[in-house]
Amino acid sequence: MNFTNRKTYTPFIGRYDPCQPLPVRAYETPPQLYLGFQPPGLEQFAPKEALKRGTLWPALFSPYTNPYEQP
Amino acid sequence: MANEALPDDFYMLMEDLQAIDFVLVELNLYLDTHPDDIEAVKQFNTFAQQSQTLRRTIEEKYGPLMGAGKSYSTFPWAWADPPWPWQV
Repeated sequence: MNFTNRKTYTPFIGRYDPCQPLPVRAYETPPQLYLGFQPPGLEQFAPKEALKRGTLWPALFSPYTNPYEQP
Repeated sequence: MANEALPDDFYMLMEDLQAIDFVLVELNLYLDTHPDDIEAVKQFNTFAQQSQTLRRTIEEKYGPLMGAGKSYSTFPWAWADPPWPWQV
């Protein structure tokens, strides 16, 4: 399986759960967890791109899409 | 400056300034943990220079960006004139 920052877990589903249960829950982990100490000279975004993405380095950019959305 | 609408040019300059200042914040945080990275220090100083130049350009055209002596004022006193930061 490919590496991804999105992890999943399966919660306990009670039989009287009033809501439609989500059998698989997803959560995001930040990229810096897997980077260790940031190496110098990483590739950078252009300033406006960085402002839009919230980080100067593509290695630290974490996109977010809805994990529960049906395609 | 009266209550007339600001030209597109103002917003373009402010966006440039915002992007440059964001890069400076990022490099500032990076350099806190990598004080010996000379390339990053050079880049930081280049962007600091750009930020100051751009600030001067904006202030000459559209009035002071900061109060309390961090920007110069034209006469009469320009700080009290609209638009204020939360109005742009």
